[in-house]
Amino acid sequence: MSDNRIDGYARALFEIARAEGTIDEVEDELFRFARSYESSDSLRNALTDEQIPAAKRQAIVEDLLGGKATSTTVQLVSMVIGSGRGRDLPAIVDKLVDRASSSKNLELAEVRSAVALTKDQEDRLAAALANATGKQVNLKVVVDPSVLGGLVATIGDTVIDGSVRTRIDQLKSRL
Amino acid sequence: MSVLGTIIRPMAECGIDSNGDCVTHSPILPETPEIIWGGLASLLIFAALIKFAGPMIAKSMAARTARIQGELDGAAEAKSAAAAEATQIRAAKGDIAGERARILAEADVQAAAVLEDGRVRLKQELADLETRAVAEIAATGNRAGDELRAEIARLSNAAVDHVVTGSLDDATHQELIESFISRVGANS
Repeated sequence: MSDNRIDGYARALFEIARAEGTIDEVEDELFRFARSYESSDSLRNALTDEQIPAAKRQAIVEDLLGGKATSTTVQLVSMVIGSGRGRDLPAIVDKLVDRASSSKNLELAEVRSAVALTKDQEDRLAAALANATGKQVNLKVVVDPSVLGGLVATIGDTVIDGSVRTRIDQLKSRL
Repeated sequence: MSVLGTIIRPMAECGIDSNGDCVTHSPILPETPEIIWGGLASLLIFAALIKFAGPMIAKSMAARTARIQGELDGAAEAKSAAAAEATQIRAAKGDIAGERARILAEADVQAAAVLEDGRVRLKQELADLETRAVAEIAATGNRAGDELRAEIARLSNAAVDHVVTGSLDDATHQELIESFISRVGANS
């Protein structure tokens, strides 16, 4: 899909969420779903398989997110999957999150962790990142077991890597 | 001569002297006239021989002398030729010996050159073999070292993964997260 089309979808989703007044929740839910979608081959294959009818793929989305996400999020994901743009869902969501962050004068900070962070940890981490970068950040935490331990924070082009995985890789390369 | 002849002949040849005795001539010297006539006859015969047979005999002797001289000359020439041939043979024999010596000397030189060349080539080949062997040993050693290092690294990696993932409990996770937040917050 071209960047213009991805931008178009992201703008449309953003406007819908903002009109619904649930932009904060929706962008957060979409972001988490996009990361899960990226990491799960079976989910991605199921939702992008053209042989499966669109209605059935949308039903899979509703089954997965029903009761766990806002209805707006479920409808937006279902719409993207139903329109056959499943492969571009992560890129569309990333654009939407960027747009939402920009609208709030925030810098998107994607943080990967092996375990979930508490609300207190997220707040302190957001403050620390803001302190380090000089910008207010829109913190998005992704639970990624491949990190093994510690955190990896990506803010724009800046990566702050404190993961056990990276330290192990460095140790292995030295070995 | 018969016995009767022996008896009669002296009686017939004896002379009768004035006393009627039979007188015989000297048993050694002939009668004088016989000597004279015999001498003359002999002279005539010799003269005739000298006149008529002498040139023939002289000619014959001269021819014989010439023939003998020719034979002597031929023998001398044959001897000279034989001597010359002997000289040639001896010279040829000397040449053969010289040639043999030269060929042997040349063969010795060539053999020495071939031997030296072979020795040098052998030495060079030995040096090459040794160099290759040393290089191969070094390469094998390096390969073995690399393989050993790779195996150690692989085992170490596996050990690191096993030890680290096994030691990452919840408290460690929280400690790592807090450490990260503190470290990032300190980098203002």
